[in-house]
Amino acid sequence: MSIRKKGYSHWEGQLKESAFVAWFPLTRLGIKLAFQKRFFKLFFFSAFLPALIFLAGIYVSERMEDFRFMIQGQPSFLQITPNYFKAYFTNSFFLFLLVLMMIFVGSGLIADDLKFKALQLYFARPLRKVDYLLGKMATLGFFLLLLSLIPGWIFVLFKLVFAGNFAFLRSYPWLPLAVVAYSLILTLFFAIYTLTLSALSSNSRHVALMIFGIYLASDIIFGIFYQNFHHPYLVLLSLKLNLQQVGAALFGEKLFYPVPWGWSLLLLIMLMGLGLAILNRRIRSVEVVK
Amino acid sequence: MTPAAKILDLQRIGYNYGQIKALSGVSITVEKGPVGLLGPNGAGKSTLLRLLLGFLTIQEGQGKVMGYDVAREKTRVRQIVGYMPEDESYVPGIDGVTLTALLGELSGMPRQEAMKRAHDVLFYVGLEESRYRRVESYSKGMRQRLKLAQALVHDPQLILLDEPTSGLDPQGREEILELITDISNHGVQVLVSSHILPDIEETCQEVIILNQGQVAAQGNLQELKKLNYNLYELKVAGEAAPFLAKLQERGCRWEQEEDLWKLYLPRELSPRVIFELAVEEKVQVRHLVKSQSRLEDLFAQVVGEEE
Repeated sequence: MSIRKKGYSHWEGQLKESAFVAWFPLTRLGIKLAFQKRFFKLFFFSAFLPALIFLAGIYVSERMEDFRFMIQGQPSFLQITPNYFKAYFTNSFFLFLLVLMMIFVGSGLIADDLKFKALQLYFARPLRKVDYLLGKMATLGFFLLLLSLIPGWIFVLFKLVFAGNFAFLRSYPWLPLAVVAYSLILTLFFAIYTLTLSALSSNSRHVALMIFGIYLASDIIFGIFYQNFHHPYLVLLSLKLNLQQVGAALFGEKLFYPVPWGWSLLLLIMLMGLGLAILNRRIRSVEVVK
Repeated sequence: MTPAAKILDLQRIGYNYGQIKALSGVSITVEKGPVGLLGPNGAGKSTLLRLLLGFLTIQEGQGKVMGYDVAREKTRVRQIVGYMPEDESYVPGIDGVTLTALLGELSGMPRQEAMKRAHDVLFYVGLEESRYRRVESYSKGMRQRLKLAQALVHDPQLILLDEPTSGLDPQGREEILELITDISNHGVQVLVSSHILPDIEETCQEVIILNQGQVAAQGNLQELKKLNYNLYELKVAGEAAPFLAKLQERGCRWEQEEDLWKLYLPRELSPRVIFELAVEEKVQVRHLVKSQSRLEDLFAQVVGEEE
Protein backbone atom coordinates (compact mmCIF):
# COMPACT_ATOMS: atom_id res chain seq x y z
CA MET A 1 0.00 0.00 0.00
CA SER A 2 1.32 3.38 -0.92
CA ILE A 3 2.13 5.73 1.94
CA ARG A 4 1.78 8.66 -0.40
CA LYS A 5 -1.63 10.17 -0.02
CA LYS A 6 -0.55 12.77 -2.55
CA GLY A 7 2.51 13.10 -4.77
CA TYR A 8 5.54 15.29 -4.15
CA SER A 9 4.78 18.96 -4.58
CA HIS A 10 7.17 21.83 -5.09
CA TRP A 11 7.33 24.93 -2.97
CA GLU A 12 6.72 28.08 -4.94
CA GLY A 13 8.41 30.59 -2.62
CA GLN A 14 11.81 32.22 -2.69
CA LEU A 15 14.53 31.41 -0.15
CA LYS A 16 15.88 34.38 1.77
CA GLU A 17 19.59 35.02 2.14
CA SER A 18 19.58 37.46 5.04
CA ALA A 19 22.22 36.92 7.73
CA PHE A 20 19.66 37.69 10.44
CA VAL A 21 17.50 34.79 9.37
CA ALA A 22 20.46 32.47 9.59
CA TRP A 23 20.81 32.36 13.37
CA PHE A 24 17.61 33.73 14.84
CA PRO A 25 15.58 30.49 14.62
CA LEU A 26 18.21 28.79 16.78
CA THR A 27 17.85 31.50 19.40
CA ARG A 28 14.08 31.19 19.41
CA LEU A 29 14.36 27.43 19.75
CA GLY A 30 16.83 27.73 22.65
CA ILE A 31 14.51 30.07 24.54
CA LYS A 32 11.52 27.82 23.88
CA LEU A 33 13.38 24.72 25.07
CA ALA A 34 14.52 26.51 28.24
CA PHE A 35 10.93 27.25 29.25
CA GLN A 36 10.01 23.58 28.70
CA LYS A 37 12.42 22.52 31.45
CA ARG A 38 11.05 21.49 34.78
CA PHE A 39 11.12 24.23 37.45
CA PHE A 40 12.61 26.71 34.99
CA LYS A 41 9.62 29.06 35.03
CA LEU A 42 9.71 29.17 38.82
CA PHE A 43 13.43 29.85 38.81
CA PHE A 44 13.12 32.41 36.01
CA PHE A 45 10.63 34.56 37.87
CA SER A 46 12.45 34.11 41.19
CA ALA A 47 15.63 35.38 39.57
CA PHE A 48 14.05 38.82 39.30
CA LEU A 49 13.61 39.09 43.08
CA PRO A 50 16.95 40.85 43.69
CA ALA A 51 16.09 43.35 40.97
CA LEU A 52 12.68 43.98 42.56
CA ILE A 53 14.27 44.48 45.96
CA PHE A 54 16.77 46.99 44.54
CA LEU A 55 13.96 48.71 42.67
CA ALA A 56 12.02 48.99 45.90
CA GLY A 57 15.18 50.48 47.44
CA ILE A 58 15.19 53.20 44.80
CA TYR A 59 11.57 53.98 45.58
CA VAL A 60 12.26 54.09 49.31
CA SER A 61 15.28 56.36 48.75
CA GLU A 62 13.00 58.94 47.18
CA ARG A 63 10.42 58.60 49.96
CA MET A 64 12.92 58.68 52.80
CA GLU A 65 10.60 60.63 55.09
CA ASP A 66 7.89 57.96 54.78
CA PHE A 67 10.27 55.10 55.49
CA ARG A 68 12.57 56.69 58.07
CA PHE A 69 11.32 54.28 60.74
CA MET A 70 12.69 51.35 58.71
CA ILE A 71 16.22 52.62 58.15
CA GLN A 72 17.12 54.12 61.47
CA GLY A 73 20.86 54.25 61.94
CA GLN A 74 21.61 53.39 58.31
CA PRO A 75 21.03 56.57 56.38
CA SER A 76 23.75 55.74 53.83
CA PHE A 77 22.12 52.44 52.96
CA LEU A 78 19.69 53.90 50.49
CA GLN A 79 21.75 56.55 48.84
CA ILE A 80 21.39 55.94 45.15
CA THR A 81 24.90 56.36 43.83
CA PRO A 82 26.97 54.21 41.49
CA ASN A 83 27.79 52.18 44.58
CA TYR A 84 24.14 51.09 44.67
CA PHE A 85 24.51 49.75 41.13
CA LYS A 86 27.79 48.10 42.05
CA ALA A 87 26.00 46.45 44.96
CA TYR A 88 23.40 44.98 42.60
CA PHE A 89 25.69 43.93 39.77
CA THR A 90 28.66 42.56 41.71
CA ASN A 91 27.02 40.88 44.66
CA SER A 92 27.85 37.21 44.93
CA PHE A 93 24.22 36.12 45.01
CA PHE A 94 23.43 37.90 41.74
CA LEU A 95 26.43 36.31 40.02
CA PHE A 96 25.42 32.95 41.42
CA LEU A 97 21.93 33.44 39.96
CA LEU A 98 23.53 34.00 36.57
CA VAL A 99 25.47 30.76 36.96
CA LEU A 100 22.25 28.90 37.83
CA MET A 101 20.58 30.47 34.80
CA MET A 102 23.42 29.20 32.63
CA ILE A 103 23.00 25.71 34.07
CA PHE A 104 19.30 25.70 33.25
CA VAL A 105 19.52 27.27 29.82
CA GLY A 106 22.98 26.53 28.54
CA SER A 107 24.19 23.14 29.70
CA GLY A 108 22.47 21.29 26.86
CA LEU A 109 22.73 23.95 24.19
CA ILE A 110 25.63 22.36 22.34
CA ALA A 111 25.95 19.12 24.33
CA ASP A 112 22.54 17.93 23.11
CA ASP A 113 23.39 18.80 19.52
CA LEU A 114 26.53 16.70 19.87
CA LYS A 115 24.68 13.84 21.54
CA PHE A 116 21.88 13.69 18.99
CA LYS A 117 24.11 14.57 16.02
CA ALA A 118 22.03 17.62 15.15
CA LEU A 119 25.03 19.58 13.92
CA GLN A 120 24.98 17.86 10.55
CA LEU A 121 21.32 18.81 10.15
CA TYR A 122 22.12 22.44 10.89
CA PHE A 123 25.26 22.64 8.78
CA ALA A 124 23.58 21.02 5.79
CA ARG A 125 21.77 24.39 5.63
CA PRO A 126 23.32 27.67 4.59
CA LEU A 127 24.41 28.18 8.18
CA ARG A 128 27.99 29.11 9.05
CA LYS A 129 29.72 28.12 12.26
CA VAL A 130 29.57 31.74 13.37
CA ASP A 131 25.79 31.81 12.76
CA TYR A 132 25.38 28.68 14.85
CA LEU A 133 27.40 30.16 17.71
CA LEU A 134 25.60 33.49 17.45
CA GLY A 135 22.27 31.69 17.64
CA LYS A 136 23.31 29.80 20.76
CA MET A 137 24.99 32.81 22.32
CA ALA A 138 21.92 34.96 21.72
CA THR A 139 19.82 32.43 23.63
CA LEU A 140 22.06 32.87 26.66
CA GLY A 141 22.33 36.58 26.01
CA PHE A 142 18.55 36.92 26.13
CA PHE A 143 18.39 35.58 29.68
CA LEU A 144 21.58 37.25 30.91
CA LEU A 145 20.62 40.67 29.63
CA LEU A 146 17.13 40.28 31.09
CA LEU A 147 18.75 39.95 34.50
CA SER A 148 21.47 42.56 34.06
CA LEU A 149 20.98 45.22 31.41
CA ILE A 150 17.21 45.53 31.69
CA PRO A 151 17.09 45.91 35.51
CA GLY A 152 20.08 48.30 35.32
CA TRP A 153 18.27 50.58 32.91
CA ILE A 154 15.02 50.25 34.83
CA PHE A 155 16.89 51.37 37.99
CA VAL A 156 18.11 54.49 36.19
CA LEU A 157 14.73 55.16 34.65
CA PHE A 158 12.81 54.71 37.90
CA LYS A 159 15.31 56.82 39.81
CA LEU A 160 14.57 59.64 37.34
CA VAL A 161 10.83 59.05 37.49
CA PHE A 162 10.70 58.89 41.30
CA ALA A 163 12.96 61.92 41.66
CA GLY A 164 11.05 63.88 39.05
CA ASN A 165 14.24 65.49 37.74
CA PHE A 166 17.49 64.71 35.92
CA ALA A 167 19.83 65.55 38.79
CA PHE A 168 20.90 61.91 39.07
CA LEU A 169 21.90 61.73 35.39
CA ARG A 170 23.64 65.09 35.58
CA SER A 171 25.72 63.78 38.50
CA TYR A 172 26.54 60.44 36.85
CA PRO A 173 26.07 60.83 33.11
CA TRP A 174 28.30 57.84 32.42
CA LEU A 175 26.30 55.44 34.60
CA PRO A 176 23.94 54.09 31.88
CA LEU A 177 27.00 53.33 29.77
CA ALA A 178 28.64 51.55 32.70
CA VAL A 179 25.48 49.46 33.07
CA VAL A 180 25.64 48.57 29.37
CA ALA A 181 29.37 47.82 29.45
CA TYR A 182 29.24 45.63 32.54
CA SER A 183 26.10 43.83 31.38
CA LEU A 184 27.81 43.06 28.08
CA ILE A 185 30.96 41.82 29.82
CA LEU A 186 28.87 39.57 32.10
CA THR A 187 26.84 38.33 29.13
CA LEU A 188 29.80 37.66 26.88
CA PHE A 189 31.78 35.98 29.61
CA PHE A 190 29.01 33.72 30.90
CA ALA A 191 27.79 32.90 27.39
CA ILE A 192 31.22 31.87 26.13
CA TYR A 193 32.02 30.07 29.41
CA THR A 194 28.79 28.08 29.20
CA LEU A 195 28.99 27.29 25.49
CA THR A 196 32.61 26.19 25.79
CA LEU A 197 31.79 23.74 28.54
CA SER A 198 28.68 22.61 26.68
CA ALA A 199 30.83 21.83 23.66
CA LEU A 200 33.24 19.73 25.71
CA SER A 201 30.77 16.97 26.52
CA SER A 202 27.75 15.39 24.95
CA ASN A 203 26.20 14.86 28.39
CA SER A 204 24.33 17.95 29.57
CA ARG A 205 24.44 16.80 33.21
CA HIS A 206 28.22 16.67 33.10
CA VAL A 207 28.19 20.13 31.56
CA ALA A 208 25.94 21.43 34.34
CA LEU A 209 28.38 20.06 36.91
CA MET A 210 31.28 21.69 35.09
CA ILE A 211 29.55 25.10 34.88
CA PHE A 212 28.84 25.03 38.59
CA GLY A 213 32.02 23.23 39.66
CA ILE A 214 34.56 25.37 37.85
CA TYR A 215 32.93 28.61 38.98
CA LEU A 216 32.79 27.44 42.58
CA ALA A 217 36.18 25.69 42.57
CA SER A 218 37.96 28.80 41.30
CA ASP A 219 36.60 30.72 44.27
CA ILE A 220 37.44 27.97 46.76
CA ILE A 221 41.00 27.70 45.41
CA PHE A 222 41.37 31.46 45.77
CA GLY A 223 40.11 31.22 49.37
CA ILE A 224 42.58 28.49 50.29
CA PHE A 225 45.59 30.27 48.79
CA TYR A 226 44.57 33.67 50.09
CA GLN A 227 44.26 32.38 53.63
CA ASN A 228 47.80 31.06 53.46
CA PHE A 229 49.61 33.73 51.42
CA HIS A 230 47.44 36.88 51.72
CA HIS A 231 48.66 38.00 48.32
CA PRO A 232 46.03 40.20 46.58
CA TYR A 233 47.00 39.01 43.10
CA LEU A 234 45.55 35.64 44.02
CA VAL A 235 42.25 37.29 43.17
CA LEU A 236 43.04 36.38 39.57
CA LEU A 237 42.34 32.73 40.47
CA SER A 238 38.65 33.37 41.10
CA LEU A 239 36.19 33.85 38.25
CA LYS A 240 33.74 35.56 40.57
CA LEU A 241 36.29 38.00 41.99
CA ASN A 242 37.61 38.92 38.57
CA LEU A 243 34.07 39.80 37.49
CA GLN A 244 33.57 41.77 40.69
CA GLN A 245 36.83 43.67 40.25
CA VAL A 246 35.86 44.72 36.71
CA GLY A 247 32.36 45.63 37.89
CA ALA A 248 33.65 47.80 40.73
CA ALA A 249 36.00 49.59 38.32
CA LEU A 250 33.30 50.25 35.71
CA PHE A 251 30.97 51.73 38.32
CA GLY A 252 33.86 53.91 39.52
CA GLU A 253 33.87 52.38 42.99
CA LYS A 254 36.55 51.03 45.29
CA LEU A 255 37.99 47.73 44.10
CA PHE A 256 37.45 44.63 46.22
CA TYR A 257 41.20 43.90 46.26
CA PRO A 258 44.12 46.25 45.59
CA VAL A 259 44.95 44.78 42.20
CA PRO A 260 44.67 46.79 38.97
CA TRP A 261 41.31 45.85 37.46
CA GLY A 262 42.93 45.71 34.01
CA TRP A 263 44.50 42.40 35.02
CA SER A 264 41.11 40.93 35.77
CA LEU A 265 39.69 42.25 32.51
CA LEU A 266 42.68 40.90 30.59
CA LEU A 267 42.26 37.51 32.24
CA LEU A 268 38.54 37.42 31.40
CA ILE A 269 39.31 38.38 27.78
CA MET A 270 41.95 35.65 27.59
CA LEU A 271 39.52 33.09 28.97
CA MET A 272 36.92 34.16 26.42
CA GLY A 273 39.52 33.88 23.65
CA LEU A 274 40.42 30.40 24.81
CA GLY A 275 36.74 29.50 24.92
CA LEU A 276 36.17 30.71 21.37
CA ALA A 277 39.21 28.73 20.18
CA ILE A 278 37.82 25.58 21.82
CA LEU A 279 34.39 26.23 20.31
CA ASN A 280 35.91 26.71 16.88
CA ARG A 281 37.63 23.35 17.22
CA ARG A 282 34.70 21.46 18.72
CA ILE A 283 31.90 22.68 16.48
CA ARG A 284 32.09 20.56 13.39
CA SER A 285 29.42 19.46 11.03
CA VAL A 286 30.74 15.92 11.22
CA GLU A 287 32.83 14.00 13.69
CA VAL A 288 36.13 13.25 12.01
CA VAL A 289 37.80 10.20 13.51
CA LYS A 290 41.47 10.16 12.60
CA MET B 1 20.99 26.02 -10.75
CA THR B 2 23.12 27.64 -13.39
CA PRO B 3 21.96 27.00 -16.97
CA ALA B 4 22.75 23.52 -18.21
CA ALA B 5 24.65 22.74 -14.99
CA LYS B 6 25.53 19.18 -14.22
CA ILE B 7 24.46 17.67 -10.95
CA LEU B 8 28.02 16.75 -10.15
CA ASP B 9 31.21 17.79 -11.83
CA LEU B 10 34.16 16.59 -9.78
CA GLN B 11 37.74 16.74 -10.97
CA ARG B 12 40.46 14.67 -9.30
CA ILE B 13 39.04 15.04 -5.80
CA GLY B 14 41.32 13.81 -3.03
CA TYR B 15 40.85 13.71 0.73
CA ASN B 16 42.91 12.20 3.54
CA TYR B 17 42.04 11.67 7.19
CA GLY B 18 45.55 12.18 8.50
CA GLN B 19 47.56 9.32 7.04
CA ILE B 20 44.50 7.50 5.77
CA LYS B 21 43.61 8.13 2.18
CA ALA B 22 39.83 8.33 1.96
CA LEU B 23 39.46 9.57 -1.61
CA SER B 24 41.99 9.79 -4.37
CA GLY B 25 41.68 11.19 -7.88
CA VAL B 26 37.88 10.98 -7.89
CA SER B 27 36.52 12.44 -11.11
CA ILE B 28 32.78 12.18 -11.58
CA THR B 29 30.44 13.83 -14.01
CA VAL B 30 26.70 13.35 -13.68
CA GLU B 31 24.33 15.17 -16.01
CA LYS B 32 21.09 14.23 -14.28
CA GLY B 33 19.73 11.95 -11.60
CA PRO B 34 18.73 9.74 -10.09
CA VAL B 35 22.23 8.47 -9.52
CA GLY B 36 23.42 5.77 -7.16
CA LEU B 37 26.65 5.93 -5.22
CA LEU B 38 27.65 2.41 -4.46
CA GLY B 39 30.51 0.87 -2.57
CA PRO B 40 31.43 -1.24 0.42
CA ASN B 41 31.87 0.29 3.87
CA GLY B 42 34.97 2.47 3.91
CA ALA B 43 34.86 3.05 0.15
CA GLY B 44 34.58 6.80 0.67
CA LYS B 45 30.87 7.34 -0.05
CA SER B 46 30.07 9.31 3.07
CA THR B 47 33.31 11.29 2.77
CA LEU B 48 32.31 12.24 -0.77
CA LEU B 49 28.87 13.42 0.37
CA ARG B 50 30.46 15.44 3.17
CA LEU B 51 32.81 17.06 0.68
CA LEU B 52 29.90 17.92 -1.59
CA LEU B 53 28.14 19.67 1.31
CA GLY B 54 31.31 21.42 2.42
CA PHE B 55 31.38 19.62 5.78
CA LEU B 56 34.93 18.67 4.89
CA THR B 57 37.26 20.82 2.85
CA ILE B 58 38.51 19.41 -0.41
CA GLN B 59 42.26 18.85 -0.17
CA GLU B 60 42.93 18.03 -3.82
CA GLY B 61 41.05 18.77 -7.01
CA GLN B 62 37.88 20.77 -7.44
CA GLY B 63 34.20 20.10 -7.62
CA LYS B 64 30.88 21.63 -8.57
CA VAL B 65 27.41 20.70 -7.42
CA MET B 66 24.57 21.95 -9.62
CA GLY B 67 27.06 24.37 -11.16
CA TYR B 68 28.24 25.86 -7.85
CA ASP B 69 31.79 25.49 -6.61
CA VAL B 70 31.86 23.27 -3.54
CA ALA B 71 34.79 25.09 -1.95
CA ARG B 72 33.84 28.70 -2.71
CA GLU B 73 30.04 28.62 -2.83
CA LYS B 74 29.22 26.33 0.10
CA THR B 75 26.29 28.43 1.24
CA ARG B 76 24.70 28.42 -2.18
CA VAL B 77 25.21 24.68 -2.52
CA ARG B 78 23.60 24.03 0.85
CA GLN B 79 20.64 26.18 -0.04
CA ILE B 80 19.76 24.13 -3.09
CA VAL B 81 20.73 20.73 -1.74
CA GLY B 82 18.83 18.59 0.75
CA TYR B 83 20.75 16.10 2.87
CA MET B 84 19.48 13.01 4.60
CA PRO B 85 22.29 11.79 6.85
CA GLU B 86 22.93 8.15 7.61
CA ASP B 87 23.18 8.67 11.38
CA GLU B 88 20.17 9.15 13.56
CA SER B 89 20.11 12.87 14.06
CA TYR B 90 17.48 15.14 15.53
CA VAL B 91 16.91 17.91 18.04
CA PRO B 92 15.37 16.52 21.22
CA GLY B 93 12.53 18.23 23.04
CA ILE B 94 10.58 19.33 19.99
CA ASP B 95 7.97 17.69 17.78
CA GLY B 96 8.43 16.58 14.20
CA VAL B 97 6.73 19.54 12.62
CA THR B 98 8.67 22.08 14.68
CA LEU B 99 11.96 20.42 13.80
CA THR B 100 11.15 20.27 10.12
CA ALA B 101 9.96 23.89 10.08
CA LEU B 102 13.05 25.00 12.00
CA LEU B 103 15.32 23.42 9.41
CA GLY B 104 13.26 24.98 6.62
CA GLU B 105 13.71 28.36 8.25
CA LEU B 106 17.44 27.79 8.58
CA SER B 107 17.46 27.14 4.83
CA GLY B 108 16.02 30.61 4.31
CA MET B 109 12.27 30.00 4.21
CA PRO B 110 9.98 32.57 5.84
CA ARG B 111 8.72 31.26 9.19
CA GLN B 112 5.08 30.75 8.29
CA GLU B 113 5.95 29.25 4.92
CA ALA B 114 8.38 26.88 6.61
CA MET B 115 5.70 25.70 9.01
CA LYS B 116 3.16 25.20 6.22
CA ARG B 117 5.68 23.34 4.10
CA ALA B 118 6.75 21.22 7.10
CA HIS B 119 3.17 19.98 7.42
CA ASP B 120 3.12 19.19 3.70
CA VAL B 121 6.34 17.19 3.63
CA LEU B 122 5.51 15.31 6.83
CA PHE B 123 2.20 14.39 5.29
CA TYR B 124 4.04 13.35 2.14
CA VAL B 125 6.44 11.01 3.94
CA GLY B 126 3.60 9.48 5.94
CA LEU B 127 4.15 11.16 9.31
CA GLU B 128 0.92 13.15 9.35
CA GLU B 129 -0.34 11.31 12.44
CA SER B 130 2.91 11.81 14.35
CA ARG B 131 3.66 15.41 13.46
CA TYR B 132 3.02 16.67 16.98
CA ARG B 133 4.87 13.93 18.80
CA ARG B 134 8.31 14.61 20.19
CA VAL B 135 10.95 13.22 17.86
CA GLU B 136 12.68 11.21 20.58
CA SER B 137 9.53 9.08 20.82
CA TYR B 138 9.69 8.19 17.10
CA SER B 139 10.54 4.67 15.98
CA LYS B 140 13.57 4.02 13.78
CA GLY B 141 11.41 3.97 10.66
CA MET B 142 9.67 7.20 11.61
CA ARG B 143 12.98 8.93 12.22
CA GLN B 144 14.14 7.78 8.81
CA ARG B 145 11.08 9.39 7.26
CA LEU B 146 11.59 12.51 9.33
CA LYS B 147 15.14 12.77 7.97
CA LEU B 148 13.74 12.53 4.47
CA ALA B 149 11.12 15.19 5.25
CA GLN B 150 13.69 17.65 6.61
CA ALA B 151 15.81 17.10 3.50
CA LEU B 152 12.82 18.04 1.35
CA VAL B 153 11.35 20.90 3.35
CA HIS B 154 13.04 23.71 1.39
CA ASP B 155 12.25 22.03 -1.92
CA PRO B 156 15.87 21.40 -2.93
CA GLN B 157 17.01 20.91 -6.50
CA LEU B 158 19.15 17.96 -5.45
CA ILE B 159 18.87 15.61 -2.48
CA LEU B 160 21.73 13.55 -1.14
CA LEU B 161 20.48 10.44 0.60
CA ASP B 162 23.00 8.56 2.71
CA GLU B 163 21.86 4.97 3.26
CA PRO B 164 18.16 5.94 3.16
CA THR B 165 16.82 2.49 3.96
CA SER B 166 19.29 1.52 6.63
CA GLY B 167 17.62 -0.24 9.55
CA LEU B 168 14.17 -0.40 7.96
CA ASP B 169 11.90 -3.40 7.75
CA PRO B 170 11.03 -4.62 4.23
CA GLN B 171 7.78 -2.67 4.08
CA GLY B 172 9.40 0.52 5.35
CA ARG B 173 12.20 0.06 2.85
CA GLU B 174 9.76 -0.33 -0.02
CA GLU B 175 7.92 2.79 1.05
CA ILE B 176 11.06 4.89 1.25
CA LEU B 177 12.23 3.65 -2.16
CA GLU B 178 8.81 4.44 -3.56
CA LEU B 179 9.09 7.98 -2.19
CA ILE B 180 12.57 8.40 -3.65
CA THR B 181 11.30 7.35 -7.06
CA ASP B 182 8.36 9.72 -6.77
CA ILE B 183 10.59 12.62 -5.74
CA SER B 184 12.85 11.91 -8.69
CA ASN B 185 9.86 11.74 -11.03
CA HIS B 186 8.85 15.21 -9.85
CA GLY B 187 12.04 16.82 -11.09
CA VAL B 188 14.20 16.71 -7.97
CA GLN B 189 17.66 15.35 -8.73
CA VAL B 190 18.48 12.47 -6.43
CA LEU B 191 21.80 10.98 -5.35
CA VAL B 192 21.43 7.79 -3.32
CA SER B 193 24.46 6.50 -1.46
CA SER B 194 24.03 2.93 -0.38
CA HIS B 195 25.70 -0.41 0.04
CA ILE B 196 22.35 -2.14 -0.42
CA LEU B 197 22.48 -2.98 -4.07
CA PRO B 198 18.79 -3.56 -4.76
CA ASP B 199 18.06 -0.05 -3.43
CA ILE B 200 20.19 1.39 -6.22
CA GLU B 201 18.72 -0.94 -8.81
CA GLU B 202 15.21 0.11 -7.83
CA THR B 203 15.78 3.85 -7.82
CA CYS B 204 18.62 4.82 -10.13
CA GLN B 205 19.56 4.75 -13.78
CA GLU B 206 23.08 6.09 -13.29
CA VAL B 207 25.56 4.52 -10.91
CA ILE B 208 28.97 5.39 -9.54
CA ILE B 209 30.86 2.59 -7.87
CA LEU B 210 33.48 3.64 -5.34
CA ASN B 211 36.08 1.29 -4.00
CA GLN B 212 39.01 2.13 -1.72
CA GLY B 213 38.53 5.82 -2.33
CA GLN B 214 38.55 5.60 -6.10
CA VAL B 215 35.92 5.43 -8.79
CA ALA B 216 35.79 1.79 -9.84
CA ALA B 217 33.05 2.29 -12.43
CA GLN B 218 30.61 4.95 -13.49
CA GLY B 219 27.85 5.21 -16.03
CA ASN B 220 24.40 4.18 -17.04
CA LEU B 221 23.35 1.12 -15.14
CA GLN B 222 22.10 -0.75 -18.18
CA GLU B 223 25.24 0.15 -20.14
CA LEU B 224 27.52 -0.85 -17.30
CA LYS B 225 25.85 -4.21 -17.09
CA LYS B 226 26.83 -4.83 -20.66
CA LEU B 227 30.43 -3.78 -20.26
CA ASN B 228 33.58 -5.84 -20.08
CA TYR B 229 32.25 -9.16 -18.96
CA ASN B 230 29.65 -11.69 -19.88
CA LEU B 231 28.24 -13.51 -16.94
CA TYR B 232 27.67 -17.28 -17.11
CA GLU B 233 26.34 -19.74 -14.60
CA LEU B 234 28.33 -22.92 -14.63
CA LYS B 235 28.12 -26.35 -12.99
CA VAL B 236 30.87 -28.88 -13.44
CA ALA B 237 31.57 -32.43 -12.34
CA GLY B 238 35.13 -33.44 -11.51
CA GLU B 239 38.18 -31.60 -10.15
CA ALA B 240 37.17 -27.97 -10.61
CA ALA B 241 40.20 -26.21 -9.13
CA PRO B 242 42.71 -26.71 -12.00
CA PHE B 243 39.96 -25.96 -14.51
CA LEU B 244 39.11 -22.68 -12.78
CA ALA B 245 42.80 -21.80 -12.49
CA LYS B 246 43.14 -22.19 -16.23
CA LEU B 247 40.09 -19.96 -16.75
CA GLN B 248 41.63 -17.38 -14.49
CA GLU B 249 44.79 -17.42 -16.61
CA ARG B 250 42.59 -16.47 -19.55
CA GLY B 251 41.25 -13.41 -17.67
CA CYS B 252 38.10 -14.94 -16.25
CA ARG B 253 36.88 -14.26 -12.75
CA TRP B 254 34.62 -16.54 -10.81
CA GLU B 255 32.66 -16.88 -7.62
CA GLN B 256 31.04 -19.89 -6.04
CA GLU B 257 27.40 -19.85 -5.02
CA GLU B 258 26.58 -23.23 -3.46
CA ASP B 259 27.14 -25.77 -6.24
CA LEU B 260 27.07 -23.10 -8.93
CA TRP B 261 29.98 -21.10 -10.34
CA LYS B 262 29.39 -17.56 -11.54
CA LEU B 263 31.85 -16.98 -14.28
CA TYR B 264 32.80 -13.52 -15.58
CA LEU B 265 34.10 -14.08 -19.07
CA PRO B 266 35.91 -11.18 -20.80
CA ARG B 267 33.81 -9.99 -23.72
CA GLU B 268 36.53 -10.81 -26.24
CA LEU B 269 36.65 -14.40 -25.03
CA SER B 270 34.29 -16.88 -26.64
CA PRO B 271 32.36 -19.22 -24.32
CA ARG B 272 33.79 -21.99 -26.44
CA VAL B 273 36.98 -21.69 -24.41
CA ILE B 274 35.09 -23.02 -21.39
CA PHE B 275 34.47 -26.32 -23.18
CA GLU B 276 38.02 -26.44 -24.53
CA LEU B 277 39.52 -26.01 -21.05
CA ALA B 278 37.02 -28.47 -19.59
CA VAL B 279 38.16 -31.10 -22.05
CA GLU B 280 41.78 -30.25 -21.30
CA GLU B 281 41.26 -30.56 -17.52
CA LYS B 282 38.93 -33.56 -17.81
CA VAL B 283 35.92 -31.97 -16.14
CA GLN B 284 32.38 -32.33 -17.25
CA VAL B 285 30.30 -29.24 -17.96
CA ARG B 286 26.86 -30.07 -16.58
CA HIS B 287 25.26 -26.64 -16.84
CA LEU B 288 26.20 -23.44 -18.70
CA VAL B 289 23.74 -20.56 -18.98
CA LYS B 290 24.39 -16.98 -19.96
CA SER B 291 23.06 -14.83 -17.14
CA GLN B 292 21.71 -11.29 -17.08
CA SER B 293 24.16 -9.27 -15.01
CA ARG B 294 22.53 -7.83 -11.89
CA LEU B 295 24.02 -5.04 -9.88
CA GLU B 296 25.36 -7.47 -7.31
CA ASP B 297 27.33 -9.13 -10.08
CA LEU B 298 28.58 -5.83 -11.37
CA PHE B 299 29.44 -4.83 -7.84
CA ALA B 300 31.32 -8.06 -7.23
CA GLN B 301 33.05 -7.80 -10.58
CA VAL B 302 34.34 -4.29 -9.92
CA VAL B 303 34.94 -4.36 -6.24
CA GLY B 304 36.19 -7.90 -5.98
CA GLU B 305 34.11 -9.18 -3.14
CA GLU B 306 30.49 -8.99 -2.27
CA GLU B 307 29.48 -7.46 1.04
